[in-house]
Amino acid sequence: MNKESKLYVVLFTFIISFIFIFVLSLINAYTIEKIELNREFSKVKAILSSAGIQFFDKKDALEKFNNLFIKKNINGVDFYIVDREGKEIFVYVFSGNGLWGLIEGAIATNKTVDQIIGIEIIAQNETPGLGGRIEEEWFKEQFKNEKLSGSLKLIYTGKQGDDDKTNSAVDAITGATLTSKFFVKIINDSIEIMRSALRSE
Amino acid sequence: MIPDLNPLLLFFASVFTSNILLSNFLGMCSFISISRDFKSSNGLGMAVTLVMTITTVLNWIVEKYIIVPFGLEYLRYIIYIIVIAAIVQILEMIIDRISPNLYISLGIFLPLITVNCAILGVALFMQLRNYSLIQSAFFGFGSGIGWWLAIVLLAAIRLKVDKAPVPAPLKGVGITLITIGIMAMAFIGFAGMINVQ
Amino acid sequence: MNRYKEVLIKNIWVENPVFVLVLGICSTLAVTNNLKNTLIMTVGVTLVIAFSNFTISILKSLIPGKVRMMIQVLVISFYVIIVDIFLKAFVSDVSKALGPYVGLIITNCIIMGRAEAFAQANNALISFWDGLTSGLGYMYVLIIVAFFRELLGFGTVFGFRVLPDNFVNWTIMVMPPSAFFMLAIFIWIAKSFKKKEESK
Repeated sequence: MNKESKLYVVLFTFIISFIFIFVLSLINAYTIEKIELNREFSKVKAILSSAGIQFFDKKDALEKFNNLFIKKNINGVDFYIVDREGKEIFVYVFSGNGLWGLIEGAIATNKTVDQIIGIEIIAQNETPGLGGRIEEEWFKEQFKNEKLSGSLKLIYTGKQGDDDKTNSAVDAITGATLTSKFFVKIINDSIEIMRSALRSE
Repeated sequence: MIPDLNPLLLFFASVFTSNILLSNFLGMCSFISISRDFKSSNGLGMAVTLVMTITTVLNWIVEKYIIVPFGLEYLRYIIYIIVIAAIVQILEMIIDRISPNLYISLGIFLPLITVNCAILGVALFMQLRNYSLIQSAFFGFGSGIGWWLAIVLLAAIRLKVDKAPVPAPLKGVGITLITIGIMAMAFIGFAGMINVQ
Repeated sequence: MNRYKEVLIKNIWVENPVFVLVLGICSTLAVTNNLKNTLIMTVGVTLVIAFSNFTISILKSLIPGKVRMMIQVLVISFYVIIVDIFLKAFVSDVSKALGPYVGLIITNCIIMGRAEAFAQANNALISFWDGLTSGLGYMYVLIIVAFFRELLGFGTVFGFRVLPDNFVNWTIMVMPPSAFFMLAIFIWIAKSFKKKEESK
């Protein structure tokens, strides 16, 4: 058969595409559950880590989430509440605008909302390597146990992270000032929502 | 969920503060080789802007009405690149019919564009960030203009730099990369113009 | 065996894809402020070049001229999608950090370039080797760039702090412009060596 004939070109393209797409769909079918699970799991994981609860693997995390947390709607706001060492911790799942797209995450505070227990990111689309670094441990670590007087401020230390837990401030990410500003705004908005919901409780 | 971002802000940000080329490094290959010549740079920039705007919008429609309803997410890359290749082909034919003059200045660059990372990059960013149709259009158009601006500026600078007494091993690519780096630093300055309420 | 050695030296040094041909820096340069991400990206690129070269070389006598480019893009996308699915399923954190850059491996000019220039004219095994070595030539240059960017930008290597605490981070190393500067410096040094070799 002539290699350059129309029939051959069409047949060849069709068969090759078919084979490749078939293989891809097999691989996809095999992994889709895992990917889907990873996605669902990232929310559970975020809620657990924001409240400072350790877990070993997915199964353990789901178990702890189902056993320890109570989902409760208080004044129109959904909270995940967990009792830890006699103190109630309130977790709120937030979503707000970053520089490029939505940033979703979980924030945990005490009942009077004057101290952050921790934060965790579920999904973000900031520039990889710059704004995307809000997912890095040192950045999230700054929020852990931070005392809140009024709202959270952004400071520029020139180092990596602000260790002072009483100044109600976090260090911006070097090279990603805008994302840091947007992120702190999202956190402050979330704190406001939590305060107004829990005040009348 | 669609992020609540002003399309004009997106346009501004994609031209200046986060220029697709200077901050995301997309479309570097043709950028370095073509910027030797000012006229070609202008032509390529125009072609990229045109193709980027059209393909971003079209890929948005394909994403919403074909990929998602049929569960073809895993084939997304292939579908996007086919859409881009098809648009480039069609544009080439249309321009050839309508205006032979434009074809000479623009058409010769079109085949280069299919494999330009910036075009696919903008489509992927648009999908990942979940933009609406209007936001995607502004983002695609802005990124195209940003790319065009960057290549024209670089070509203009290179007219002078290529005659300068640069150390021999740094001639050509080396000094061009340094020039791009300085341009990128200048563009970062625009970030101060965006207000976060 | 000599042919393999020849290909190796050519791809790693004499005709290195990055500092001689200046190809394919698009998608990876953006993540070079982090060594781990750079390593994963470059390994991905290397695997895709090697396997797509291999496949295209096997298919070369069957591919009609008219659709050659399209088939090449299809083969490359096929492997990139596999890499992407693999990252999403098994290391979802990394996949999130790299964002769309994994998909952009498709338009990496080196892959198309090697398929056109080498795999079209050589047998499958040596094409695979050519892809692998081109990938390595690409990898070590970007790893060196990433090493200095992470070291000076954050004071860390692979996330571990190595510089003393009183070291003031060079902010510019984190930002995109430094990638251009670092690459330019690398090219400067590499080309100086080359010039010396030639004059001998």
